[in-house]
Amino acid sequence: MTKLLQDIKLIGDEIPWLKDFRQKGKDEFISQGIPTAKTEAWKYTKPNRFLANDFSFCPQGSKDISPYSIEVPFKACQIYFENGIFSHHDELPEGIEVLPLIEVIMFHHDLRDKIGALAEIKAHPFAALNSAYLNEGVYIHISANVTTPIVFVNHITPQPNGNMYNLRNLVVVDDNSSAEVVEYYCYEGDIKSSYLVNVVNEIYIGCGAALKHYKVQDEAFKAGHIALNSVKIKADGLYQSFCLQKGADLSRNETKVVLAEEGATTEVNAAYMMNGWATIDTTTDIEHLKPFTKSLQLVKGVIGGQAKGVFQGKIHIAPQAVKTEGYQLHKAMLLSDEAEVDVKPELEIFADDVKCSHGSASGELDQEQLFYMQSRGVGKDKAKQILIDAYLNDVIAKIDNENIRLWVKSFIGEHD
Amino acid sequence: MATPLLEIEDLYAGVDGKEIIKGFNLTINAGEIHALMGPNGAGKSTLSNILCGKPGYHVTSGRILFKGQDLLKFSAEDRAREGLFLSMQYPVEIPGVSITSFLKHAVNAVRQYKGEDELDTMEFIKILRQEGKKLGLDADMIKRDVNVGFSGGEKKRLETLQMSILKPTLAILDEADSGLDIDALRVVAEGVNALHTNDNALLVITHYQRLLNYIVPDFVHIYADGKIVKTGGKELAMELEQKGYAEFVKERND
Repeated sequence: MTKLLQDIKLIGDEIPWLKDFRQKGKDEFISQGIPTAKTEAWKYTKPNRFLANDFSFCPQGSKDISPYSIEVPFKACQIYFENGIFSHHDELPEGIEVLPLIEVIMFHHDLRDKIGALAEIKAHPFAALNSAYLNEGVYIHISANVTTPIVFVNHITPQPNGNMYNLRNLVVVDDNSSAEVVEYYCYEGDIKSSYLVNVVNEIYIGCGAALKHYKVQDEAFKAGHIALNSVKIKADGLYQSFCLQKGADLSRNETKVVLAEEGATTEVNAAYMMNGWATIDTTTDIEHLKPFTKSLQLVKGVIGGQAKGVFQGKIHIAPQAVKTEGYQLHKAMLLSDEAEVDVKPELEIFADDVKCSHGSASGELDQEQLFYMQSRGVGKDKAKQILIDAYLNDVIAKIDNENIRLWVKSFIGEHD
Repeated sequence: MATPLLEIEDLYAGVDGKEIIKGFNLTINAGEIHALMGPNGAGKSTLSNILCGKPGYHVTSGRILFKGQDLLKFSAEDRAREGLFLSMQYPVEIPGVSITSFLKHAVNAVRQYKGEDELDTMEFIKILRQEGKKLGLDADMIKRDVNVGFSGGEKKRLETLQMSILKPTLAILDEADSGLDIDALRVVAEGVNALHTNDNALLVITHYQRLLNYIVPDFVHIYADGKIVKTGGKELAMELEQKGYAEFVKERND
């Protein structure tokens, strides 16, 4: 087996619940193995190619409090991780509680049931791997209408050996509460450094509650980033997400939303852009379990070089989930002849009286538009950039918070 | 004598491997207005596309000098920065790109090329609004995306607005009158005339004599089968309107 699983002693192994949880993850990962082209859910993304590099878990990083924080151009409350290890957080506004996950496991036994209840490890080898190393991450508890965005930063300063960082977060939004959470993955140092970030977020949204979840994945050029967001929404709750993936050699952002009660709504939007030989995967799985639930998805990508974009989008409507609406649209722009996009939409509709649609389109940069701009003096590269920005504009516009929207826009930089 | 703005000498050129322009000659000096008239399929648009550097077109032989320099050596954007402008027959729509932001990029790219300071946004918007107003394009219109949802007339006004902002030395108007009603035609023509000085020149490509009532040419060239078959003054356009192209094409064949 790969170095991804090591026999090392982790903090908290003496706690039976935790030891058992980790062991189940380990067993599950061993039985599933690293997905290959034959694994249906991973057939386009093929992580085994990337994982041939072999990453090893870094058990005891420095626990020193990092003096750093990342500048963001808006007022925010930051939760800061350095190399996958929780460092510190800013002073918290009313209605937010943040605890290291390990503390929750040790002292808040009532919350243990929430860990692992949403993120299925059966069909998710990386979630299983994440469970095997369950240790780092935070519990975020929202109990009011919080207006200051919470920015969760994982800042990597790459080490020479290929490290793996497992992060596990639990977010609970109480009934009638709301917040905005931004996840930001970034690095400092050699752009060619290779490491693997493996994140699992389990998110519980109460009745009439709302969570807006934004994410920017800007990892180093040869890094891997795999994320599973598992969300459950109660009656009239809202989960709205936007994810920009632009870094890493192999990246997957998977979002599974269960619309568990009537009136639950979700919006899962994403943009991706890459060059070189990268593979960027956006996978969604929306389950409508009850009537009057609604889901909307818009995913747009820009693919250059010999890179590959993957979109797998599933909408499942249970037999009793009448009067539901589920919409999905994916669009990709291919900037070169060798760029590739693989799309797999799946609609499973078992109820009558529903409104559902899905669509996918891919195209190239419009040469007429490009020439038109050049003929007015705009340089070719600049014109391309303007057209790419314009292409992604409608999906970025889905970010309600203007400050966050402008910040996300600033990541859409030079492309060829 | 000053260097002509444009000299085309014995040009053979085409698109997709097909020769369309066959032995074309034309000289345009500063201060002049030339009209190029010809039937459909004569290759009028091929000529304007070649001048502006549209990809896919090829030049087999001959040469094109712009202000004494070999035009074909310049990229499409550098031709624009050097002062060449094409008012397009079918301007494209660019969803997601506002007119303001697009034109600001264009103006500043040209200014930078000339070694001038870039305009700041407020300054630029003021100029854009002033020029827009003259052409009947109000502030709301200018906030919209480039050509998106514009009528034929509005598109041509926007082309003229771009011309007035970029102040080219040689402007080519490719079928500037197509899709225009008489009022819009007048507005566009007035806009174009207002920009014409002794230091710049216009090449008006058109089917019909109609536009030439408003933009009065110094020279009229009849273009058929890839070359100019007859040149005259503005009265030639009238003659053409009465006799039709067949007469001139036949004349040449005899």
